[in-house]
Amino acid sequence: MSGRRVAGAVLFGAVAAFAALGPEVVAADPARQSLADYLTPPGGAWLLGTDHLGRSLLARLAHAARLSLFLAAVCVFSAALPGTLLGILAAWAGGLVDRALSALADAVLALPGLLLVLLIASFAPGRFWPLQVGFALTLAVEFFRVVRGTSQRILAGPAVEASRLLGFGPLYIVRRHLWPDLAPLIGTLAALSAAACVLGMAALGFVGIGLRPPEADWGLMMTELFPYHAEAPWAIAQPIALLFLTVLGLLLLAGRERA
Amino acid sequence: MKRRTVLAFPAYVAAARLGGGRSSAAEARTLQVVAPWEITSLDPSRAGFIFTRLSVAETLVGAKPDGALVPQLAQSWSVAADRLTWTFRLRSSARFHDGRPVTPADVAAALERAAALPGPLRAAPIAAISPTEGAVEIRTSRPFVSLPAFLAHSSTQILSPGSFAGGETVAVIGSGPYRTTKIEPPQRVEIAGFGGYDGTPPAVAAAAYLAASRAETRVLMAEAGQADLAFTIDPASRQRLRRNPRVTLLELPIPRVVTLKVNCAHPALSDPRARRALSAAIDRPGVARAILRNESAAATQLFPPALAEWHVPDLPPLVRDLATARGLLAELGWQPGPDGVLVRDGKPFALTLRTFPDRPELPLIAAALQDQLREVGIRVSVAVGNSGDIPLGHRDGTLELALLARNFALVPDPLGTVLQDFGPDGGDWGAMGWRHQGMQRTLEALSAAFDPAERGRLRGDVARILHAELPVVPIGWYDHSLAASRRVDGVVLDPLELSYHLPALRWT
Amino acid sequence: MILRGLTAALAKRALQAVVVAVAVATIAFFALLSLPGDQAMRIAAGRYGYDIADTAAAALVRAELGLDRPLVERYLLWLADLARGDLGRSFVSGERVVGELAHLFRHTLVLAVTAFLVGCLVGLPLGWLAGLSPGGLVDRASLAAAVLARALPGFALGILLILLFSVGLGVLPAAGYGSVDALVLPALTVGVGLGGAISRVARDSTVAATTAPFFAFARLKGLSALQALLRHGVRNAAVPVIAYLGVQLAQLIEGLVIAETLFAWPGLGHAMVHAIVARDVPMVQGTALVLGLMFVALNGAVDAASLAADPRRRAAA
Repeated sequence: MSGRRVAGAVLFGAVAAFAALGPEVVAADPARQSLADYLTPPGGAWLLGTDHLGRSLLARLAHAARLSLFLAAVCVFSAALPGTLLGILAAWAGGLVDRALSALADAVLALPGLLLVLLIASFAPGRFWPLQVGFALTLAVEFFRVVRGTSQRILAGPAVEASRLLGFGPLYIVRRHLWPDLAPLIGTLAALSAAACVLGMAALGFVGIGLRPPEADWGLMMTELFPYHAEAPWAIAQPIALLFLTVLGLLLLAGRERA
Repeated sequence: MKRRTVLAFPAYVAAARLGGGRSSAAEARTLQVVAPWEITSLDPSRAGFIFTRLSVAETLVGAKPDGALVPQLAQSWSVAADRLTWTFRLRSSARFHDGRPVTPADVAAALERAAALPGPLRAAPIAAISPTEGAVEIRTSRPFVSLPAFLAHSSTQILSPGSFAGGETVAVIGSGPYRTTKIEPPQRVEIAGFGGYDGTPPAVAAAAYLAASRAETRVLMAEAGQADLAFTIDPASRQRLRRNPRVTLLELPIPRVVTLKVNCAHPALSDPRARRALSAAIDRPGVARAILRNESAAATQLFPPALAEWHVPDLPPLVRDLATARGLLAELGWQPGPDGVLVRDGKPFALTLRTFPDRPELPLIAAALQDQLREVGIRVSVAVGNSGDIPLGHRDGTLELALLARNFALVPDPLGTVLQDFGPDGGDWGAMGWRHQGMQRTLEALSAAFDPAERGRLRGDVARILHAELPVVPIGWYDHSLAASRRVDGVVLDPLELSYHLPALRWT
Repeated sequence: MILRGLTAALAKRALQAVVVAVAVATIAFFALLSLPGDQAMRIAAGRYGYDIADTAAAALVRAELGLDRPLVERYLLWLADLARGDLGRSFVSGERVVGELAHLFRHTLVLAVTAFLVGCLVGLPLGWLAGLSPGGLVDRASLAAAVLARALPGFALGILLILLFSVGLGVLPAAGYGSVDALVLPALTVGVGLGGAISRVARDSTVAATTAPFFAFARLKGLSALQALLRHGVRNAAVPVIAYLGVQLAQLIEGLVIAETLFAWPGLGHAMVHAIVARDVPMVQGTALVLGLMFVALNGAVDAASLAADPRRRAAA
């Protein structure tokens, strides 16, 4: 592994470990309030300070990390898998299949993603999963389009033609020709999609949708702490910093190396 | 009769004044006003308050910041000996912005319209509205002492017939000192002084209103010097603005109260002791300090001291007392379960609290209450939804707890709201499943009583009953706030939110 | 050849536009009505404010708008109106939806296009430069910047920009609309995040192009890396970027909602959120329709760009 990938693995590993172990190790209850100690700066009794209701930010970040990574993983996985497979299928089969799949993708995209998310969310207010389903649907189209576009270019190239003439089957072509080019693109998209999921929650919280006290993921924490941006910039910076480290780690892991 | 003091509020008049004479550039300047409310419609019943606040449209009756009713389009009013027939004499020189004189027929038509649409006037017992010579006569079906206060509400504003076309409101042609020059729903209105106004012409010749829904935006506009008047400042930003040399922060208590609406028909909440236990579990000073950022915002009873006629100073204050709360709950048969949640007859003490994000502090207070009630063993799940869910839950009986902010001065006389909220069937935003004979007798007597001493006694009775029974649990009292730039002088913050008092402003 | 491909693509898009229009509006209609919560109550709250909105107000609204009529009847009435180009009146404001949309659309389009240009201007050059020397300084710095832009919620970026340019330097208005300088901050808020994403995709596709055999061959011929990229790589590198841009257009809306709300900018996104909350069916249909058609139109442009970049696909189109 290159230095880049090692750095990425270390970064992402650290965040994942925080999510996995944090809630067990941090003794403080993330919902426990101490209204007298709201927005206490980091250091002292509270390692990372307290939020606007006097709750331990360390405890809240750890619990939110678990929720955010889980939601983002579910969302990215349910977007990437069908998106990638259908993208390859559309590029490979061409003709009617391609046209039908592309039309479907366009139709989903043309429905404003926000409308989709808000509508699905309204069916089960106060739950996080409908929001993620909505995000996954729009993100799947993103994977589909990028994979389809790239696959078409590669499949039309001379290398694939040669392999076909030599009698290699589809699996070989996908593995030897498509995958090496697709993998880093998918990795990049997945990392950006994970960020999009978290920020999607923040955006909805901003317009007053998706709040469900006392639970919060990083996105909702950003929304909650936003009104205190001037009073306690260090507070809103914490979930942003964690999201930054996560996305950076994932992008470094996924990035293409010099050939 | 004319100048009855209904509310007694401290009026805050900004005295800040910087040196420097008037320049001709200042004369041509446009005053920038920014507030959270969008112009959803031109209809008086919908966003009409924006146009009364901007002094474009006038109501028959106005109110001073201290709640005293004052003449506006009506120059005087009186009630006949039968206590049913009211006469409102109009200002004869008043003209609409389209040049038409304001006639009694126009006023009667506007009031008929308001009475047919949702709004306070619909709830008033009006039997007939008829134009007479230079006046409008209103007959009520029973003695109704608060009628003039109801005619101060923005939905009763008087617009020229030219404002309407086929039942739709197509323009806002009022009779106030300002006329609209440009309306761009949902965000912007521009106004300029109306030359045909029959009073003193305003010193600030032009103003622009911008709706900015986020408090952060309004605060930054004030800090950047882009807004001359920025209304409704969030508690977290006030400290910062107080230190800012470019703006003056005006703050006032207003008759809006954060209340916890309780389903008094719910098996766990029907006993007044259960509601007193809820109340005793709540840390009001904590909420006031951390969320409302004002120590004096912690409610000790339902009506804030600002509502001087309704506030009863000698009531024992509502305080946090966990021992009392636990004792009351034990008396009612609740025993701690294995997970700390109270149990009675095998059922846990678990409730759902509904609230809505239109006022950003409500979900925060809900989260605080959730944690505080957990300490006495009550498990509360918070559902942040739409404001409409609360009246709905009230009607279908599914509501358990609701956190809301109730305005007791929708009209300058709080009696209007009190009647709506604590009447025989309760109210969508008030009591639920609560019946109290004494309360009904008191309210009936109060709405027909014209004698000030008797009214005072009856108001005290209402406050005392609500304090003992707690059909709604008071949490906090609101402050109204305004960041005014030092470039303007004579700023008045109206706790009733009836007017921005733009005609009183001058450039410094 | 190019022209025929373009005509076909445009015809396809025009057909798609009609389908999208009806589909979007139908979905909005039935989805909104099947949502939990009482429609009349929500409309009343949207109209009169929640202080006034009670069950009596809701009953008046229900009677006025005929909300108790059968669904199918209301849907068919709406379709008939749509066929005449009439989108009806907003349940909340009572104004004609067409008129309200015209005002909002103008401002949303200006903001969206400016933000998109900002995104491309920031993202593409950065991505190409980074892709030419993977692992180099530009690559590393642009990666960190892109990730930061992507991890920062729009409202936080917006506030930072206001604090810097309005409160600090006093050179740009903090919010509002109507002048060119008021456009700068919202467009940057939306565009910078977009640029971050574009730069990563552009970088990866540039790396892919520069590691392909034809590129090595071009270098063997003696061309510099930049020359080789310009002569052979750009087209190959452009295809995934263009495909990605098409998707980003649709996702721009989310960023727009935040920017519109934060900067008090009149816009479709903000209006749509309000309309969904207030169950204002005609307004949701109208905003969804316009956003859908806007997407189809912009997508047509992306198609054309894609065809121009990759001659091999023209035959297929």
